[in-house]
Amino acid sequence: MAAERRATVTWNGDLMRGAGTIDEVGSGAFGPLDVSWPARSEEASGGKTSPEELIAAAHAACFSMALAGGLAKAGTAPERLQTSAAVTFVPGTGITKIVLTVRGTVPGLDADAFREAAEGAKKNCPVSQALAGVPEITLDAQLA
Amino acid sequence: MAWEGSLSRGTGVARAGKGAFELPIDLPSRIGDPGAKTSPEELLAAAHAGCYATSLAGAVAKAGGTVEHLDVRCTVTMDEVEDRGHLIVSSELDVRGRADGIDADGFGRAAQAADEGCSFSALIRASAAVSVKTTFES
Repeated sequence: MAAERRATVTWNGDLMRGAGTIDEVGSGAFGPLDVSWPARSEEASGGKTSPEELIAAAHAACFSMALAGGLAKAGTAPERLQTSAAVTFVPGTGITKIVLTVRGTVPGLDADAFREAAEGAKKNCPVSQALAGVPEITLDAQLA
Repeated sequence: MAWEGSLSRGTGVARAGKGAFELPIDLPSRIGDPGAKTSPEELLAAAHAGCYATSLAGAVAKAGGTVEHLDVRCTVTMDEVEDRGHLIVSSELDVRGRADGIDADGFGRAAQAADEGCSFSALIRASAAVSVKTTFES
């Protein structure tokens, strides 16, 4: 079954001084969220999000769900997975790097098996596959 | 992103590093009726719409126009592909714009350039179909 997910953005004005808003998403879970070019390319984002921050959230969520699914399938369902994704964006080049870090509480599983399951999730989750063109995606997976 | 429990019955929360959002996520939100929960694919739709909107604002200015207003709607579709599991198969952009100093043809060319200049379009085009439909509101 195909699942469609939708988002709408409004932009007013030029790139450098203008600003946009993610007005709404199909689920209604969030929005409006402000986006801007400085939020994307500079350090201090002032509470505004950026496409790369949303991609980081998408990747961390997709990876966590794939890992939870894989672990449960192997008979060692996780109690808790804490994942962060750091996306590096270089203006003019694009996304150059994603660093995934996961700490898991998984009863009955050793560190090597957890790392192996995490590598599988990184390889197979749909967002990882969609982002396969990113030059460098690293994973640090450890039990909490 | 914090996740608790198994895939089918567990739930997660996605938090942005800079505090711009905090969102609940679970499996039904991804493949079934989303309820009021978001999903990785919805976040990607928001990311693609945002990336494209900033790229188009830049492309219109480069063509000598001044953006008044851009509306970008993005639909990301995930489907089960034989032997490959779930994959993101397409991202469709539907763009409406109003700008001074540029005509419909110029806006169409800027929309094309914006797609080429949006780093996320380029990235996911490697594995999914990306389409752009534009409407110029004069």
